[in-house]
Amino acid sequence: MAGDAVETSGLTKDYGNGRGIFDLELRVPVGEVFGFLGPNGAGKTTTIRLLMGLIHATRGSAGIFGLDSDRDAVAVKRTVGYCPGELPQFGGWRGSEIVAYVAGLRGDVKDAAITALATRLDLDLGRKYREYSHGNKQKLALVLAFMHQPRLVILDEPTTGLDPLVQQEFYAIVRDARAAGSTIFVSSHVLSEVEHICDRVGIVREGRLVTVSKLGDLVGMRAFHVEIEFADGVPAEQLKTVRGLEQLRVEGRRASGILRGSFEPLMTALIGRRVIGLVSREPSLEEIFLTYYEAKR
Amino acid sequence: MTLLRIGLKLQRTGLVAMTAIGVAAGVLNALAFVAVAGASQAERLAFAHSMEILGTELSYMLPIPDHLDTLAGYLQWRALGVLVLIFGIWAVISATGGGRGDEERGLVEQWLAAGASRARYIATRVLVFTLVATVAIAATMLLTYVAGTSSGEPLPVAAMASAGVNLLITTLACFGIGLVIAQLVTTRRAAGFGAAGAVLVLFLITGASRTSDIGPIRWISPFYLYERSKPLTTDGALEPGPVIALVVGAFVLIALAVAAFVRRDLGGTALPRTSRTARPTTTPSRDPLLRIPVVALLRQQWLWVLTWTIGLAAVSAFLASIVKTVIDTLTTSATPIMRAYFERAGLVGYDSFVGAIWLSSVMLILCAYAIVQVQSWSADDAEGRLAAVLSAPVSRARVVVERLAALLVAAGVVCAAAGAAVYWVASSQSLGIDGSRLALATGLLVTIPFAFAAIGQLLAVWRPRTALVLLSAIAVVSYFIVQFVPLFDWPEWVANLSLFSLYGMPMSGEVNWSGIAGLIGVGVVGTIGALFAVQRRDVGA
Repeated sequence: MAGDAVETSGLTKDYGNGRGIFDLELRVPVGEVFGFLGPNGAGKTTTIRLLMGLIHATRGSAGIFGLDSDRDAVAVKRTVGYCPGELPQFGGWRGSEIVAYVAGLRGDVKDAAITALATRLDLDLGRKYREYSHGNKQKLALVLAFMHQPRLVILDEPTTGLDPLVQQEFYAIVRDARAAGSTIFVSSHVLSEVEHICDRVGIVREGRLVTVSKLGDLVGMRAFHVEIEFADGVPAEQLKTVRGLEQLRVEGRRASGILRGSFEPLMTALIGRRVIGLVSREPSLEEIFLTYYEAKR
Repeated sequence: MTLLRIGLKLQRTGLVAMTAIGVAAGVLNALAFVAVAGASQAERLAFAHSMEILGTELSYMLPIPDHLDTLAGYLQWRALGVLVLIFGIWAVISATGGGRGDEERGLVEQWLAAGASRARYIATRVLVFTLVATVAIAATMLLTYVAGTSSGEPLPVAAMASAGVNLLITTLACFGIGLVIAQLVTTRRAAGFGAAGAVLVLFLITGASRTSDIGPIRWISPFYLYERSKPLTTDGALEPGPVIALVVGAFVLIALAVAAFVRRDLGGTALPRTSRTARPTTTPSRDPLLRIPVVALLRQQWLWVLTWTIGLAAVSAFLASIVKTVIDTLTTSATPIMRAYFERAGLVGYDSFVGAIWLSSVMLILCAYAIVQVQSWSADDAEGRLAAVLSAPVSRARVVVERLAALLVAAGVVCAAAGAAVYWVASSQSLGIDGSRLALATGLLVTIPFAFAAIGQLLAVWRPRTALVLLSAIAVVSYFIVQFVPLFDWPEWVANLSLFSLYGMPMSGEVNWSGIAGLIGVGVVGTIGALFAVQRRDVGA
């Protein structure tokens, strides 16, 4: 048990009408970067708030480094850094005052660590919180989560609002924290995001843990939503034979579907066709679930 | 229609609360008059004479009394004279909520993004407030009329309607003031504080104008214009000039606010601002006060505490400055009945009148201070700051205790400054105030915000969304009990239900130690309750 940074046993928070998290059994070993994936409303934030002792479980328990998240909340928080999904409103405080205040509450924070993080994230602490953009508020939340170099960092959708460059810096910060021995528990609803940093991924859907897998095991899940526009009509029969292309739909001169695995079979099928446009995007997690689990059934 | 429905939903708490306050003030004052004014004409005249003397000396707060031998005259003075300020404060709170608070919460952005025009949004908020204010005032006037009529004191219907109209347009003028000020600042807190301050200043201008010639400045006050008409004592007649001035004033203020809202940036101010070119920094604040428990909370609100300290000291100095005039006039002109009443009440010297006038006002203000603090504690939960604090190794109990400790320190500073101001003015006027008794009374004042804040803390932890309303209701009920216990001769246990009654009158007699113990007991029980409740609740729920 002492080898686990996070451990839950039958953890349940029932808000009624099927909302909440139910019978969660989860273990995150020390030193791991664990991704907690799920669509919006799946129960990720509820789980995180239970781990942080901010809300009380209906039944079951959550433990951090062997301490009970609820009973030993103060001791737990000495070891944890937390970035909430919903950012607090600090109104007219300056960023520098907020970090100083929270550092005062913690008592074990070096100013140099704050400065280093703010510099890496390119965050001006001299401005008032209400003047911050959403991205800057998110950066401040990340500074507060990492500034005391915690043994466990719990991050609830931490890259929301961050531009791609800052996202890369965030991934670097996570890697550095892990190298220093920290465990990271990060929630997200974007599969590609956790691919950057996580060792293992737990997927939660409608309040229940669906699977916990190593990242490599999820490759089969990786998929793209593709949309192709043809100049001379859609070669539907040919597209139906493309390996990995599912849920094919044809509307006029457009064809769309979910492509799992390599793009090569599709590209081969398109040789000799007059393609006006081809758009591919990562589908939402819900779309992936629908295709992945229906295919497995 | 959607905006209208949302606006009405946002205003429903205010509507219920103000209707309750208005009806309680109207009905209870009507019943009180019937109970104490006497039945015969001679008794009524004696009552009116005594009350007019008292009323004249209270003219800094209430209109000059007139026709106090009738229920209509009494209501015009005692009920409507106070209600206009209460409705005015409500108007600015609503205006700053609609004009800035919803914007701060991101709601305005959502509505504008959904296709509502700025003009339509703000016009809808004005319309909604006009509707709810009309309902609250109509209910007040109607039920007061019913109470008077059913007690055998029929009130003229047309006069009641005119009085309601006069109250409504004054309330709308205050709404306009709040709406304009909301366009000039960037936070609801600043808007609310600025608008409430402006309304209080205008009210004080009117108070000053009742006893001395302060020149044409008095015309800028909606309360002065309001008092030009006394429809209950003039068969419903309204003074056309002041009424037109109020209507035009309200219209112009609202139009100015609408124009400013349409032109300014969302989240910005209508005032021109120079851009700041401070050098970016990545270092945390070096202020050591931010890192010390309790002190950090005081440091965050130092400007707020300083403003309350200066404001209450100024009010205290003003109240102390009028004591000598009040007492000298009363002792020379009061009827034997009034003198006997004062003696029975222990009001026999300057000390006791300082207690009666100053302490009773300061208690209310300190109660308001506690309520404002409780509102910010509720907001801490709703706006995620409590979760941020609890993400650090801080126990929930510590949050409760620190909040109360910070409030007590701040209240102590505010009370000390107020007491010092009274002592300074009293000494300069040779009132012969007993310094040690004043110091004791001032120190004991802290028990008032302690009791209210502890109850508020419990409510903020238990039901943060309704804490403000519930605590305000307790304050209003406490106030009404103090006002009506002597009039209706209610038993002592009823009086002791009021937190204000428990404080007693330490300047004019023995300290009511059992009452003080009661206040401290309420504070301790509320704190213990909050400590238990905070452990059980889900943060942010």
